[in-house]
Amino acid sequence: MLKTRIIPTLLWKDHGLVKGVGFDSWRRVGTVLPAIKVYSTREVDELILVDITATGEARAPDCDSVAEFSAECFVPLTVGGGIRTIEHIRDLLRAGADKVSINSAAYANPGLVREAASRFGAQCVVASIDVRRLPDGSLKCYSHSGSRPQDRDPASWARELETQGAGEILITSVERDGTMEGYDLELVRAVAAAVRIPVIASGGAGSYAHLLAALREGGASAVAAASIFHFTQQTPLEAKHYLATHGIPVRRHQLASDTLKA
Amino acid sequence: MKVLVIDYGMGNLGSVRRAFEECGADVLTSANSRDALTAERIVLPGVGAFLDGMAHLHAGDWPGQLRTALENPEVRLLGICLGMQLLADSGEEGGRTAGLGLIAGEVRRLEPEDANTRIPHVGWNEVNSTRPDRLLQLIPDGTDFYFVHSYHFRPASPALVLGTTPYCGDFASVVGAGNVYGVQFHPEKSSRPGFQVIRNFLAR
Amino acid sequence: MLRYCTRCVMPDSKPDLKLDAEGVCNACRSYENRKAVDWAARHTELQSILARYRRPDGANWDCIVPVSGGKDSTYQVVRMLQLGLNPLCVTATTCDLSAIGRRNIENIKKLGVDYLEFSPNPKVRSKLNRIGLNQVGDISWPEHVGIFTIPVRAAVQFSVPLLVWGENAQNEYGGPAAAADNNIMDRRWLEEFGGLLGLRVTDLIGIEGITAKDLIPYTYPTDEDLKRVGVTCLFLGHYLPWDGLSNALIAQANGFEALPTTVEGSMVNYENLDNHQTGIHDYFKFLKFGFSRATDIACLHLRRGRISREDAQAIVRRHDGRFPWTYLGKPVADILAPLDLSVEQFIRICDRFTNKKIFVRDASGNLAKDAHGNLTKLNYDN
Repeated sequence: MLKTRIIPTLLWKDHGLVKGVGFDSWRRVGTVLPAIKVYSTREVDELILVDITATGEARAPDCDSVAEFSAECFVPLTVGGGIRTIEHIRDLLRAGADKVSINSAAYANPGLVREAASRFGAQCVVASIDVRRLPDGSLKCYSHSGSRPQDRDPASWARELETQGAGEILITSVERDGTMEGYDLELVRAVAAAVRIPVIASGGAGSYAHLLAALREGGASAVAAASIFHFTQQTPLEAKHYLATHGIPVRRHQLASDTLKA
Repeated sequence: MKVLVIDYGMGNLGSVRRAFEECGADVLTSANSRDALTAERIVLPGVGAFLDGMAHLHAGDWPGQLRTALENPEVRLLGICLGMQLLADSGEEGGRTAGLGLIAGEVRRLEPEDANTRIPHVGWNEVNSTRPDRLLQLIPDGTDFYFVHSYHFRPASPALVLGTTPYCGDFASVVGAGNVYGVQFHPEKSSRPGFQVIRNFLAR
Repeated sequence: MLRYCTRCVMPDSKPDLKLDAEGVCNACRSYENRKAVDWAARHTELQSILARYRRPDGANWDCIVPVSGGKDSTYQVVRMLQLGLNPLCVTATTCDLSAIGRRNIENIKKLGVDYLEFSPNPKVRSKLNRIGLNQVGDISWPEHVGIFTIPVRAAVQFSVPLLVWGENAQNEYGGPAAAADNNIMDRRWLEEFGGLLGLRVTDLIGIEGITAKDLIPYTYPTDEDLKRVGVTCLFLGHYLPWDGLSNALIAQANGFEALPTTVEGSMVNYENLDNHQTGIHDYFKFLKFGFSRATDIACLHLRRGRISREDAQAIVRRHDGRFPWTYLGKPVADILAPLDLSVEQFIRICDRFTNKKIFVRDASGNLAKDAHGNLTKLNYDN
């Protein structure tokens, strides 16, 4: 049986790692490579690394750095930020990314997801959707790191991306990001119900119970999180024990530990 | 331990190299098939289609050199993902093609059991050992490894299967014949259990 | 490219450092605000907090003072005694204690305090040093965990609720003890501000044969234990003006010993004298962030008007981030020996952790090094 994944998200800006709240008030928290190595040690199931300024600065993905990071990453690595062309995707995969995450470019160039899926396989195309809640309570998609409104609602946009060939949907609540108050379950539910491909819930995880809620009540197939694992004593491994005791299939860790070396 | 990672243009080798280094290997990544003759362990990684993979191996004169190198029983080869599949006699991805023929069998597309089974098979899934072997030492049954593939290896004899994975029925995820091994999963992306497989492969 | 504060010489790669619209960093702004601080009022506030925790019956110690044996902790102990407190001093011994560090620990005891020195299992510690270096690029990871954990364990063990720390580099508040309610110092504080780089103690179980029992000194007390004793803390630096140099002067007047020469990679002779591994720790900070000890110290003196920005830049160029061939005179090969690492292996780890975006590389993309293995930053100013 395939296992439910726990996926830390690393946000990368200029020469280091940052954490924000609500896609704003960025706080520099370290550098990328040690974080990748730590999470490899921490037995996470996958990593998502997003260059948050590449799109805004109209920069191509930094494949040299990605090659360096991916070489130290001993779990699957998804890379996003600044992807606008099929060549960007090819170069990132060559640099060692296992998957790419496409967000802003999917609105401007609907052919990109389709072409990427047909050339490189749906399994390496993650479509990422950032969502804000409007004052009337409705949900709206935003591109460019949550700064530019798009005339789309998340469920129908997710369905369209699935049709174009996306292998997975990463759905992020901009308002919940960094708050550790829990996922926007209504948003996760709306998107998960709209598509058959795996949905990764993102934005707001602050406790193991939040992770479980996204899977159980939200219908997500995987959970992404950052602050909970960076700022608190909660660990991915304990999160898995918690999920396992609640009947969620997670990756097992039981090696003859005395033979393992760092 | 001198380890050769074969660079035949099928995918990024950065994490394969680093994973073997982390496990204590002295790694050479090379596109020159003569380097096969001086290595103690040979790794055939790879992502892509069977047909392209074989074309690249032939272009680099690898099939003959590998056969020569493997005449020494102390030398071992590990095929990873596409690299495992290329060990077979033949494959059908991209058109029927002869493989390296190092482990008897053929490579077929995974057949979904029901409408909910997705191909490619992507994610963390269990490996259960079917026969005791050093490659899976210290790895309890049910340990998860990372898979990304649409095709699978069908060995000619059950004796060649070392481990299976429950997806589309039980497919052979670990195969071995003498000094040649193949794993369908990516040990370099499977964190600590992956490292254990690599260490087992390297151990004298 | 690094951006530097226009007032001091700190680059924006430093975690939690922010440059404002004028390009001035929050540390400089915060120092500026210090001028407006009513230190007399803060002193009164400190007295009233301490009064809450003082034990006139002499049945227990008044507080725990975590001490390293350095100049700041010597100063802290001197001040605590002046304030009429009876502290239990607790040292989590450094990973590779130097001879001068040992002498300074003995000196603190002689100031007239009860003293507890806790030395974790050195075999486990060497493994943790190696894991820290290899996985997070921080040889001192176990030491940092220990510094923040062992005194708190002592607080629980001896039922002494108040911990008096020196300076809190991250925060301007006085610590949980100052809060009227909810003043328990919980693990969350440690994880967020303790510099643990996202690696948790429980993550280590199973690596290199490490088991839970090896990690007792590194395992934070449970929330129940913390609540039962009511463990809380305050930062002395919030209540008393804090300056490394004057602390050093006061410490030296009280028997603290400085080095005859400046410390390798530093610009002074009175800091970080107690651990031979500190040179490696500081060097990795340089590799990751492009600044190290000399920058830190130069900024402190610059803000206090003792040196100019130009002086600071010259000092940084000369001392910051030199390859740590020796530290406190001990050769790097000897420092690495307990970790079972050769210098060659060490250099490979260094290269792996070097942030390639901030250092000069040669035509083929490799890091450019001088004859002594030193790197050059792409830019030393804006």
